[in-house]
Amino acid sequence: MGFEMEQTDQLIMDTAHRLFADHCSAGVVNSAEMGTEPTKLMQAILEAGLPLAWVPEEAGGVGGSLALGFNLIRQAAGFALAAPLAETLVANRVLADSKLAVDESWAVLVSDGGALPMLTDGKVTGLVENAPMPPGVARLVAPVSDQGAVRIAVFAPDSAEIEHRESLAGEPRARVHWKEALPLQLSSALDDMSEDGLRQFCALVRACQIAGAMEKMNELTVTYVKERQQFGRALGKFQAIQHMVADIAGESALANAAVEQAVRELSAHPRPFGDSADSLLSIATAKVVASEAAGTVSRLAHQCHGAMGFSYEYPLQQYSRRIWSWREEYGSEFYWSERIGLAVAEELQSSAPGQTEGRVWDIVSR
Amino acid sequence: MSETIRFNFPAPVIDDSVNRLRREVRAFLHEEIRRGSFRPVTDCWCSGIDPDFSRKLGQRGWLGVTWPKQYGGQELSALHRYVITEELLVAGAPVHAHWIADRQSGPLILATGTEEMKRTLLPRIAAGECFVALGLSEPESGSDLASVRTRAHKVQGGWQITGTKLWSSGAQICQYMTVLARTSERDDKNRHEGLTQFLVPLDSPGVSVRGIRDMSGVEHFNESHFEKVFVPENAVLGSVGGGWKQITSELALERSGPERLLSTFVVLEKAFLQAAGSMAGHQAAVMGAMVARIRALRAMSLGVAALLEQGQYPEVEASLVKDLGTRFEQDIVERLREFWPIQLKQSYGDEFHYLLADSLLRQPSFTLRGGTNEVLKGIIARGMGLR
Ligand SMILES: Cc1cc2nc3c(=O)[nH]c(=O)nc-3n(C[C@H](O)[C@H](O)[C@H](O)COP(=O)(O)OP(=O)(O)OC[C@H]3O[C@@H](n4cnc5c(N)ncnc54)[C@H](O)[C@@H]3O)c2cc1C
Repeated sequence: MGFEMEQTDQLIMDTAHRLFADHCSAGVVNSAEMGTEPTKLMQAILEAGLPLAWVPEEAGGVGGSLALGFNLIRQAAGFALAAPLAETLVANRVLADSKLAVDESWAVLVSDGGALPMLTDGKVTGLVENAPMPPGVARLVAPVSDQGAVRIAVFAPDSAEIEHRESLAGEPRARVHWKEALPLQLSSALDDMSEDGLRQFCALVRACQIAGAMEKMNELTVTYVKERQQFGRALGKFQAIQHMVADIAGESALANAAVEQAVRELSAHPRPFGDSADSLLSIATAKVVASEAAGTVSRLAHQCHGAMGFSYEYPLQQYSRRIWSWREEYGSEFYWSERIGLAVAEELQSSAPGQTEGRVWDIVSR
Repeated sequence: MSETIRFNFPAPVIDDSVNRLRREVRAFLHEEIRRGSFRPVTDCWCSGIDPDFSRKLGQRGWLGVTWPKQYGGQELSALHRYVITEELLVAGAPVHAHWIADRQSGPLILATGTEEMKRTLLPRIAAGECFVALGLSEPESGSDLASVRTRAHKVQGGWQITGTKLWSSGAQICQYMTVLARTSERDDKNRHEGLTQFLVPLDSPGVSVRGIRDMSGVEHFNESHFEKVFVPENAVLGSVGGGWKQITSELALERSGPERLLSTFVVLEKAFLQAAGSMAGHQAAVMGAMVARIRALRAMSLGVAALLEQGQYPEVEASLVKDLGTRFEQDIVERLREFWPIQLKQSYGDEFHYLLADSLLRQPSFTLRGGTNEVLKGIIARGMGLR
């Protein structure tokens, strides 16, 4: 709902839901963080072809809409999915859009929203501080800058110095350093991709994940306060608890509405990795609102859960730790709100004298 | 296995006619401001009273737009009405006189009034010539509205009403008030039974209306006494004893409109104009964050409008919009203070200072009127099965 999907999309969503429910229990998520690879989950996702949802049919994919992919990403986040589905979806779409081959293995976009590595004489040099880097990833897909133009370079993992790290939630991240590395494949310069367009797209993916995780946190909280009894009644009967739950619902709904609006906006543009003023505003809005909500929702959900929510075994923490790291990735609410403020001011400054009246509203209601 | 909690905010269908209407209204308002026909005010739907301006809007066909043509309407969609109200709000136009009648009383009369009422009153409301006040709250009844004490007794040919209504916005310029009264003895087991709504002409013998000055310095709300006021049989709105159900569905309509997030937009707009030349760093982030939140709130509010248009009754979604939106309208003022301190009364300074000070002095009411945020949170919690 909310994302306008086609009917066949619903079948894919249902398949994915069953698959996540079967293979990605809270126990699986915790063990994955402790080092037990969720092989069944990973295999099932590849077999179902989910990472190809955004790849056009002629390139061997599903040819799904942006809405379908974002819906999958949101649903996966609701399971704290212990597999890099979102990353591979994005990497495969980037490959397809740059006319490079896509295959059925895991791939990641090695990019963190910072400056792109440079291409000189066919070789890549540069540092990506915080790239997703799941174990078993076969291909690194790197947007690189060739005198300002974006090209896509594909590498094997042994092409770079890689320092493995973990996000707050134990998701694999890495510092990736290329020194005059020769790509396996290299696209031509791409008119319809820009550094900022890629950054925006990835920021929207994180906002969408935050929205999906917060829905789950809302659900966990509602279930918990209905069951847990204190002073002879369910916690949910206390007005103080009811008001916290209402605030969780509100922030979560707001983030979802902003993400859905941005996906609709982006879907109306032919170039999802290009940047346009309209998509900037919508995507920045989504990332700001989702990242702000992440703080509020995690605080309130933990408060409602008492000590139980602080335990490793209870699933809430997998979601709160994820949204705490996702809100920082590809630009926090502080970064994107500054971008909005500057963009609005710039538009006001460039309006003809006498044309500024009502201009801010024009931008807001666009 | 618990159900996923997902609130639904679909994209409204905004066709060319909606966009055209928006442009027309916008152009009209810019021209009016340019000609100095009004001075933009903050919280204009609750503070800017100008019956002449309301009549101008009526003449253009911008009031009662969703109603049937035979009753003076245009048979346009709720979205057409939505964009008209948005444009009026962000321009700070003096729209308070007709606001309640256009938003609430008109639709109530359309749904529950007699044919005669519809034929005589609705065209006048749509023309911006007839204004209606809301008579719900009383000295002893606020959030607990079912406890109202105003009493209507059956008499020969009609009803006799006695009681006091409090806080009725704009009643001093209204010709009518919709009055919620008890028509049968209160039954503590069925507190919502026995309530009835009446349409009472405010020039009836026995009615007195007294203005109450608010903390921002204006007399916009009122205390109204009804002393054995006679109204005929056909002044009953809907069914005798069925008033509670009517007002709760009425309130759902009033909860999610753009006036629940845009009451202070006019001051944010002016703040951007002040800051644009030197916008940078922290200030850009603070002001940009407000734009982000408004855009997200607007997506929610438009989503509820789309649901209403589909004939759904999204009570929880509407309450979410009002709870988040009204708190945000207040926040805008608090956040702007960082860059523009607010110390003096409205009139000491330029237009921007006027709007800032007036916004600060008016904002406590945002989270009270139309059902307090605590009451809204109760509705949301009930929607999630906690009550
Ligand atoms: C500017 C303005 C315009 C208004 N216009 C109109 C109008 O045109 N017509 C009209 O009829 N009324 C009008 N009102 C009145 C408005 O509807 C009431 O203010 C509102 O319903 C709250 O009632 P109250 O003020 O008596 O507060 P109370 O109900 O006394 O509440 C005081 C505080 O207690 C809290 N509270 C109350 N009950 C509970 C509970 N069960 N649980 C938790 N907290 C609770 C409230 O949330 C609030 O914070 C207007 C009010 C304002 C401020």
